[in-house]
Amino acid sequence: MVVTDKDVMAHIGEYPLLQQDDESLFHGKRLIFLSWENHLMFAAPLCVPLPPTLPFGALIRDVLPELYGEHPEFEDIDWKRTLWFNSSKRFIPDVGKSLEHHGLSHKSLIRFRTPALEGMRKKTSDGRQAF
Amino acid sequence: MDTRVTKKKLGLKERYAAMTRGLHWETTYQPMDKVFPYDSYEGIKIHDWDKWEDPFRLTMDAYWKYQAEKEKKLYAVIETFAQNHGELGVTDARYINALKLFIQGVTPLEYYAHRGFAHAGRQFTGAGARVAAQMQAVDELRHFQTETHAISHYNKHYNGMHNANHWFDNLWYLSVPKSFFEDAYSGGPFEFLTAVSFSFEYVLTNLLFVPFMSGAAHNGDLSTVTFGFSAQSDESRHMTLGIECIKFMLEQDPANVPIVQRWMDKWFWRGYRLLTLVAMMQDYMLPKRVMSWKEAWEMYAESNGGALFDDLARYGIRKPKGWEQACEGKDHISHQAWATFYQYGHAAAFHTWIPSEDELDWLATKYPNTFNQYYRPRLEHWLAQSKGDEGRWYNQILPMLCQTCQVPMLFTEPGDPTQIAFRETNYLGQKYHFCSDHCCEIFEHEPKKYVQAWLPVQQIYQGNCYPEDINPASPGDSPVREVIRYYGIEGGEDNGDFANSEDRQHFKAWSGRMKPSDLGE
Repeated sequence: MVVTDKDVMAHIGEYPLLQQDDESLFHGKRLIFLSWENHLMFAAPLCVPLPPTLPFGALIRDVLPELYGEHPEFEDIDWKRTLWFNSSKRFIPDVGKSLEHHGLSHKSLIRFRTPALEGMRKKTSDGRQAF
Repeated sequence: MDTRVTKKKLGLKERYAAMTRGLHWETTYQPMDKVFPYDSYEGIKIHDWDKWEDPFRLTMDAYWKYQAEKEKKLYAVIETFAQNHGELGVTDARYINALKLFIQGVTPLEYYAHRGFAHAGRQFTGAGARVAAQMQAVDELRHFQTETHAISHYNKHYNGMHNANHWFDNLWYLSVPKSFFEDAYSGGPFEFLTAVSFSFEYVLTNLLFVPFMSGAAHNGDLSTVTFGFSAQSDESRHMTLGIECIKFMLEQDPANVPIVQRWMDKWFWRGYRLLTLVAMMQDYMLPKRVMSWKEAWEMYAESNGGALFDDLARYGIRKPKGWEQACEGKDHISHQAWATFYQYGHAAAFHTWIPSEDELDWLATKYPNTFNQYYRPRLEHWLAQSKGDEGRWYNQILPMLCQTCQVPMLFTEPGDPTQIAFRETNYLGQKYHFCSDHCCEIFEHEPKKYVQAWLPVQQIYQGNCYPEDINPASPGDSPVREVIRYYGIEGGEDNGDFANSEDRQHFKAWSGRMKPSDLGE
């Protein structure tokens, strides 16, 4: 790759390229970021190292409960109606196929929306927002 | 030939000239450009260094004299404070956690500032600027020292302060201030002064020091108050250096204006993101509150800062790009940050808690448009949960961080507090994520700099933050526990919920505030 001078505004002497979180550094795994949209009981999206070969079904079955199971709405999620996004691009997962197959490369962001369960966008019985 | 008459004593002005600019000379063995290479590579054009107005006509000998007097007073107060068990006179042991945040996250910045100013104090061609930077370098080192001494008394009695230097280099939330300063002092000397002297010390400093120092005053912490007074006269000198440097650059060459404007955009935003920690401290960690973060922002940023940028308009300078978004954030960021620390309270080095009913009501009054609507429900849920069978909830999964500011991605879209803000870019085939347009833009301008970011979450998953006996590829059933061990944090003692803390128990027992009902706890 050609690194141009434009990539650093100004420098004096050598300026080496050092990508601190290259995929090769994660012991065969890659980082995947996850965000359950509007569910801000989880203050920030989460980050987990996963094997690229992990089937999407295993992500739903084994990984997500570890991440989001504490939320009172989690049990009610209808996975068939869930909408999935690779960053902002919608995709329809094939539960038998791997993360790799879905184009989920290192440091991809998976956002998922659960239409009936809107977390913070829903009002509770006393008229306040949920979380 | 006339006999030379030496005056016994120089006048103030002459002495100043002799002790600063008089020490400067034009080099002859080597060209000046080679002796001072750092003050040209950033693209800032200086035509006449003599136009530099020395902000404070202070010479080194006078400096030693003033500082020695101030320090004598400060150490007398610290000593008295210790003799009188001042550590028990504070409002509530929860307050001590604000001091932990200070010694962990602010004091190390004083040392970084010392290094940055020592560098600038060597590298400017102009002697006036060099002397001012050198003096500030000494100030910063003193501040590091006096803050450490003032807080060391608390360290004898409370947890969470004993390992601050190691934590600063490793902990996830401390990488926020650390990376801020590393970004600043790895820039050139002009960018460093714009970042630290102007954006941080001139525009934002009141938002850092007022909450901590007034917070100390309101909560009975005399030693921190005295430190604050002692540092105050230094700070006003530092602020003057900041504004002088900006005006000097802007007046020297019109080509400097866009460079300075871009630095202001960048460093206002970097500073603002860093202040998220202070916002949280101010709204949640002071048992006796001074004012809300929102009120502080309105007073110190919106009105004072607004007037400053009106004044700079004659140079062609406008408000920093992130200004509007920062103003909108005043209703949100303290609550978003506390929710983050509450759920990662097992991975920090201070205690967290759910505010009392009164305090929740106070927050609702101060934030009438956001607190009850968006932030109170989850706090009440967590409180109920902690009292139930499940117990207190801790988030066991590490958060996603912004590549630039390194804050967990907790900030929401402008105009929609239900939606986390995501920004993304590609560089050399890799994805990079950001919390905001401004952090993304900072990265895109100098990607080669920010791909080096030492992001704590990424480092943990690479296996760089485990004790030696742990295999990084398979760290066992609780990687977070192992990381905490590596950090040198005593789980449950240095962190966790305040309700169950040693700090709380000790404070009550030692200060005689133990009620009979507490003995059964």
